[in-house]
Amino acid sequence: MSEYTLPLPVMTTLSKEYWDGCKAERLLYQHCRNCDEVIFFPKYLCPNCMSHDLEWLQSSGRGKILTFTVTYESAPPAFYAAVPYAVAIIELEEGFRMMSNLVECDFEELECEMPVEVVFDAVTDEVTLPKFRPAAK
Amino acid sequence: MESIRGKAAIVGIGEVPTGIYPERSLIEAAVTAAEMAIRDANIPKEDVDTVIPILVVANNIDNANMICSQMVEELGLGRTAKANFLVGSGGSSSANALKVAMGLVTTGLSKAVLVIHSDRMGSGLDLALAIQQFASVAISPEYESPYGFSQLGLAGFLQQRYMYDTGTTERQIASVVETLRKWAALNPNAMMKTPRTADEVLESKVISSPVRKRMMNKLGDGAAAFIVTTAERAREYTDTPAYVLGVASRCTNFSVTQGQWDGFQLWKGAARDAYEMAGITVGDIDVAEIYDAFPTFILMSMELLGLCGPGEAGKFFEEGHAAPGGKLPISTNGAMMAQGHTGAGGGVAILVEAARQVMGKAGERQVEDANIVVETASGGIGMDFHVGVLGREV
Repeated sequence: MSEYTLPLPVMTTLSKEYWDGCKAERLLYQHCRNCDEVIFFPKYLCPNCMSHDLEWLQSSGRGKILTFTVTYESAPPAFYAAVPYAVAIIELEEGFRMMSNLVECDFEELECEMPVEVVFDAVTDEVTLPKFRPAAK
Repeated sequence: MESIRGKAAIVGIGEVPTGIYPERSLIEAAVTAAEMAIRDANIPKEDVDTVIPILVVANNIDNANMICSQMVEELGLGRTAKANFLVGSGGSSSANALKVAMGLVTTGLSKAVLVIHSDRMGSGLDLALAIQQFASVAISPEYESPYGFSQLGLAGFLQQRYMYDTGTTERQIASVVETLRKWAALNPNAMMKTPRTADEVLESKVISSPVRKRMMNKLGDGAAAFIVTTAERAREYTDTPAYVLGVASRCTNFSVTQGQWDGFQLWKGAARDAYEMAGITVGDIDVAEIYDAFPTFILMSMELLGLCGPGEAGKFFEEGHAAPGGKLPISTNGAMMAQGHTGAGGGVAILVEAARQVMGKAGERQVEDANIVVETASGGIGMDFHVGVLGREV
């Protein structure tokens, strides 16, 4: 594997559980057993009812593009060589939102509400980034 | 509890030109703006017993020095001041400082409060720090940073969705820039006074789609100040107080991903509450000083404020209604797009401009009968929304 130079996610006891899921190609989100709240980004306590009774569930990885931008210039320094690239907010069908990159697509054809599906990009031995491509028709 | 509608007022304002001024120190600009505000208010400086510096972004040491009462010493307030403390919430620091100041003066804890912002985003910027900040502040290091999002991408995200939802055209968004430059041409403190047509905006290249280079703001050095006291004291000092009739806000999120992607429904409550406190309806508004950072945010805010129907704000700008001589002047200082981006100062400049219009001190760009002026602010990466209503009469 060639050396990966882009920023890697900060690992905390909480985020590591999520990223371990990605490494196993499982897109995880939290669910509150007490109030049924769907939770993402992962939290230490339920943002709805303050319960600690949270469980991890696996997402289908299917969702839609809420919004996106294709960066051509003025990227963060680490991403100078990566332009152009597409960043998006994805709304998953389970009802949570995440940020990701849009890949395997023609940037000109991207639009809001477009259905997308997760693909897993193992960027290092330790980190696999979930990314999204237009859903198979 | 009794409403504090009209119980506090802005009695003095000061501002130095925004631009690139390498010879002008942060403290020189701050002292100049503060002196202007004190003289404008016609207030004995001893009555200014609380100083609230606003977050300095360009340099951490300058920020710490402002926290550590540098302004109290520079202005010679050491015998009479009771407190000096920072208010910082990014672009909405102005609105939060106003609220704190209102609370202090209406409860009698302070006679008068000086709010002072000074920053050197143009020439004093620690570049490494700046790059690090724009790529990491208000961005989740666990779940967002790996994807190459920076604060500049916010404009792309918002404009993309806004155009999709409303059918607003790129030309309409470009006309916001054209309009703000027209206002800036009338503002001696603005950084970008040269005219810019919508066509010229559309000729510039795409940076973060669909945002083009000329839809982005420029960083500059600047300073502005205002003084808040009670309505009763205000009348002793000045004939032209800007009474604070309403303030309201919502604070909703940290990250852009978990932001208000439902049409900012919660933020509408800020406008509703501010109008209710002020006892006005949207039709009473004579001028709207709207916080920007980029053009789409002004369009969205106009709809949140109820100044336009959904998707109509772009047309409003394109038809010239927001420009000098238009039926509802918008952001008459040119906002950050044309006055310049001074860090947390964009909101301070907008609030000071709102007070200036109410006081009738806006020179060439003074709007006739600016009796009710609404102003807004937002901090972080779209973390909150603040609405203030200033008026000539209580």
